[in-house]
Amino acid sequence: MPLAEAFPIPNPYQPSLMRIDDFFDETSDVRTLRLRFVDGDEEREFSGWEPGQFGQFTVFGAGESVFALANQPWRPNGNSEDTPIIECTFRAIGKVTHALRDMSEGQVIGFRGPYGNHFPIDDWLGKDLVFIGGGIGMAALRSALLDVIDRKQEFGDVVILNGARSVADMVYTEEMPRWQDVDGVRVVRTVDPGGETEDWDGEVGLLPNVFEGLNLEPDGRIVVACGPPIMLHYLFLSLGKTGYSPEQVVTTLENKMKCGIGHCGRCYVGPFSVCRDGPVVTWAELNELPKDY
Amino acid sequence: MDRTQWLLTESQLREWVRSLLDAGNSVVAPVEEDGVLLFRPLTSEERAILAPSGKTRWSPKEFLFPRSEPLYRYTLDGGEVEIENPPAPQRPQVLFGVRSCDAGGLLRLDEIFLSGTKDPLYAARRESTTVVSMACAAADPECFCTAVGGSPVGEEGSDLQLVPLEEGWLLRVLTEKGEALFGDVDERWQDAPAAIAKEVEKLERRVAGQIERSPVKQEWSKTLEDGFEHEAWDRLAQHCLGCSVCAYVCPSCSCFDMNHEANAWCGEQCRSWDACTFAIFTHHASGHNPRSTHQERYRQRVLHKFAFKAEDDEPFRCVGCGRCVALCPAGLDIVDTVTAAVAAIREEGADAAR
Amino acid sequence: MTEANVTVAESGTGSVPEGWQPHIVALVCNWCSYAGADMAGTTRLEYPANVRMVRFPCTGRMSPLMILKAFEQGADGVLVSGCHPGDCHYVQGNLVARRRFTIFRSLMDFIGIDLRRLHFAWVSAAEGHKWARVVSDVTAAVSEAGPLPAFESPEDWDGVELPSVGDGGPQELTADQLDLLRANLRRAASEVLAAKRVGVVIGYGAGSLPGQNVPKLVTDSSACEILDWGHGCVNNLSTYIGDALEHNDRVAVVVKTCDLGAITGLIREDQVRRDQLLLIGMQCPGVHSGSALAAKCLSCSGDPHPICDLVVSVDGVHESCLDPSDAALDMPDARDEQIAYLESLPYAERWRYWQRQFGRCLRCYACRAACPLCYCSSCIADKHRPQWVPTSIDNAGNSTWNIIRAIHLAGRCSGCDECARACPADIRLDLINRKLALEVERQYGRVGLDPEEKSALIDFRMEDSEEFIL
Ligand SMILES: Cc1cc2nc3c(=O)[nH]c(=O)nc-3n(C[C@H](O)[C@H](O)[C@H](O)COP(=O)(O)OP(=O)(O)OC[C@H]3O[C@@H](n4cnc5c(N)ncnc54)[C@H](O)[C@@H]3O)c2cc1C
Ligand code: SF4
Ligand code: SF4
Ligand code: SF4
Ligand code: SF4
Repeated sequence: MPLAEAFPIPNPYQPSLMRIDDFFDETSDVRTLRLRFVDGDEEREFSGWEPGQFGQFTVFGAGESVFALANQPWRPNGNSEDTPIIECTFRAIGKVTHALRDMSEGQVIGFRGPYGNHFPIDDWLGKDLVFIGGGIGMAALRSALLDVIDRKQEFGDVVILNGARSVADMVYTEEMPRWQDVDGVRVVRTVDPGGETEDWDGEVGLLPNVFEGLNLEPDGRIVVACGPPIMLHYLFLSLGKTGYSPEQVVTTLENKMKCGIGHCGRCYVGPFSVCRDGPVVTWAELNELPKDY
Repeated sequence: MDRTQWLLTESQLREWVRSLLDAGNSVVAPVEEDGVLLFRPLTSEERAILAPSGKTRWSPKEFLFPRSEPLYRYTLDGGEVEIENPPAPQRPQVLFGVRSCDAGGLLRLDEIFLSGTKDPLYAARRESTTVVSMACAAADPECFCTAVGGSPVGEEGSDLQLVPLEEGWLLRVLTEKGEALFGDVDERWQDAPAAIAKEVEKLERRVAGQIERSPVKQEWSKTLEDGFEHEAWDRLAQHCLGCSVCAYVCPSCSCFDMNHEANAWCGEQCRSWDACTFAIFTHHASGHNPRSTHQERYRQRVLHKFAFKAEDDEPFRCVGCGRCVALCPAGLDIVDTVTAAVAAIREEGADAAR
Repeated sequence: MTEANVTVAESGTGSVPEGWQPHIVALVCNWCSYAGADMAGTTRLEYPANVRMVRFPCTGRMSPLMILKAFEQGADGVLVSGCHPGDCHYVQGNLVARRRFTIFRSLMDFIGIDLRRLHFAWVSAAEGHKWARVVSDVTAAVSEAGPLPAFESPEDWDGVELPSVGDGGPQELTADQLDLLRANLRRAASEVLAAKRVGVVIGYGAGSLPGQNVPKLVTDSSACEILDWGHGCVNNLSTYIGDALEHNDRVAVVVKTCDLGAITGLIREDQVRRDQLLLIGMQCPGVHSGSALAAKCLSCSGDPHPICDLVVSVDGVHESCLDPSDAALDMPDARDEQIAYLESLPYAERWRYWQRQFGRCLRCYACRAACPLCYCSSCIADKHRPQWVPTSIDNAGNSTWNIIRAIHLAGRCSGCDECARACPADIRLDLINRKLALEVERQYGRVGLDPEEKSALIDFRMEDSEEFIL
């Protein structure tokens, strides 16, 4: 007796099948995938996503990995594209991600999601925005960033600060010029000291320092930051120093996770489940949580 | 619902178990295996150990939340993937002889698996399960249900309850599901007089009196959370070995892992028990680990039982079975830890440096 | 837990399905047997086609994990084949492997794997004929043994009644004598702390349950009153040495004589230096398991061992520290009869016995956590590229875990029984460890308390026995 007959609720763990349509190598170990549902599989009630949400991606035989949904949000009936395309940018770092990198166009992987809360983009209307991404952290911002750029007239000035350890580690280098071309958008690229090359024309310095150097008045501005724990730690120090209030700063939490639906217990930060209650949090909310991330 | 209750002899009890088996139920009850008392599906009513007190080595949670189970299976054929749902439970299940603490533990599992996005496998099993609990006529040295709001004759989580009295086994029906477990009640069963409630109270008082622990207070949750970074945790858990005995024997611990168990042709998404006391539980692929010491991990387990609540009056997630106390190879005691941590935090202030 | 391509096997001596053909996996060395098999092919020798080959650079690269994986994935038999002694491409890989397989084989036999399923051969590149013969013989033997019994717990099985361990053990100490010992211990601990000979004393304090003692770390010479001594002092405290040394230059450890093997092991394996330790050897009344004496105590005198720095007895505290090269630790074991009894049972019975034990395993890894010699920073069970030990907590996965744990400790295990004590499922890990210790000793002689001695499985002799190798 199949499960569905015995108990009429869908199996949340069963992924939909998606085919790798295309991919792009951002760096030597970071790749962006573009995925489409395998014919028929989008019927599993895919309801689109909002920027900031993430998905569980399956490499059959290796396991699942969590990645941010990195392309412009797809909302049913709200988008010109009528079949959803999902993009994710991932670093090959462990078992699943290496297996995923070994795959090529046309191959099938699994997807379930979207999961988690999302950036409160509607609250940002009319405001100046700063996006700060460290390394692969940019992937979590890209969906929001593309949405904002697309509707630029609804927002104030936008600064995008993309930092990487070295020039070779910088993601989204191909598309940054396109972002920059939009009126009122300024892209700042920076690499850690020592990570520059001879022909590097961006900034050199740690992200928090470069941010301070931009002298962006905190007044009414929203800062959206994502990156490794150590970068966030110093960035928050800089933000505090330059007068930003914790409510103005939005970030995303990353904790190891498995189920994505708040059951497996792994991503808890105190009573807060990153997959269900997060990953998007304000700095103010973060201050209320135990330091367990 | 009118409370129906009978007094049964042991042989009547076994006959009843027989009839449950005959009706096609999977009856899961304590049996002895190589000298270890464990819940196992019965093949015959004779094997069941119907004792007035004493716990199985670990809780019966594995019959709702198995140690390992496939969440789906798949085959790989030349790049094409076929996915198949796992089989659903084939037979109704009776959890028989579950101690009061363990019955409460099942509700703690419900809170996890049936909240938010329901877990269909758990839900299906839960739906088809009836719980016959068994009150305790004596407390083990490690028991402390009364310290966390439970009782040796607690009804929480039970559909039917057996109470071992001198007069015989008192059987009480507590829910409609419990009632449904009877076909025709055997007319030889003797109705229990209403006055038997007095005997139950007496038993409760006597057993509760054997438990020496003082109660864990609701307001301690907040103190514990405030003292998250207190140095006491370091001291209190310095001899934790980082195994997961405590979590795996616990009726309410519910963390799990998911892994693909696969070969070149087929595989499955396999869910297995996991525990916050293991270092790799939270170890990121990048090498970062938010809980990099035994102490931080042990603190997580303790706080997840006694703090981190959504509502202040939520019950503790520890039901006081005492198993983790009795079985911890390093002799850590969760109540002592909580008590000592609260005392230290109150005395030295929540921020005493780590 | 992946089942789809696994032969449906009948447990025990059950019936053989019609048309059944054995699946055999051969792990072969690239430099000899692989070429030998190739030669057999090119010379068109006829031999059975049941063997699937996996190529390795050397028998020394093959691990029992790989053999276990083959069985777990449904192989009915495994053949390991490499270069003759003296011909190893890497000089000695096959000689180390020979010892390892000898011990592994004895464990597989002990847990009920019919040895007709497990074969080892030396086949050189020139021995195409030998390869064909070996494969024919192995196929015939595996066919006789039948399908691999299923990894599952027997249902409705009454179990095996092991012979009782009898009695014995150290002389019972009176309450007064125990009090004296405690006083002496506290004095010794307080003195070494006060004199700054160590930064911490790892000892025992009172636990929260009746008769229970728990590990306690004392750093303050005035706090030594919390140190306790008695039947509840079960833990082998050497497990805590590594952590304690992260914060202290030198640590004192309260030890029973049965804890010393582990400390020797740690020194032997360069985990700690002798001069970082101050061993406080205690006169021991025997430790309890439940209400009875632990089995390991039955053959022990309880006397403190003279290789300790300080020896604490009823008479007082003495400086000692005998040179360990003179020290012997002779412990016949009351459980050897139980091992012999299990070995007298037919394979099917042994398999049932161990499958029921392994079936209970929760994979809590308390055996690993409690073991003083399980100190790897990342255990093979936690590694997943590749996933050698299945994550699934079922008979197949548990069998792999329990076997590999024992194998990784073969020739190293000190017999302290901490793993078995920690095991919440009462799995007789002690019998497995003891069985392997006996086998190592029978084959390669005893390794004592001298850290300078090499442990048996990282050593080899050209003339090591190989009676079972084809
Ligand atoms: C909300 C969120 C969004 C993320 N977005 C991205 C992204 O856009 N791009 C990207 O490259 N990475 C992202 N990560 C991190 C990414 O999930 C891990 O790097 C990845 O799962 C590692 O998998 P692995 O199998 O290669 O690593 P292994 O170390 O082999 O891990 C084994 C398993 O552990 C789990 N795991 C290990 N590390 C993490 C981790 N840091 N977070 C969550 N699960 C983990 C996974 O289930 C993984 O399958 C995100 C993580 C979270 C929590
Ligand atoms: S508290 Fe005890 S049982 Fe739990 S992880 Fe630590 S040593 Fe193991
Ligand atoms: S935390 Fe310990 S005492 Fe509490 S329910 Fe779990 S095992 Fe029992
Ligand atoms: S394997 Fe067991 S008996 Fe051997 S040293 Fe380790 S804990 Fe002790
Ligand atoms: S201690 Fe026992 S139950 Fe736990 S992993 Fe080891 S053998 Fe299995």
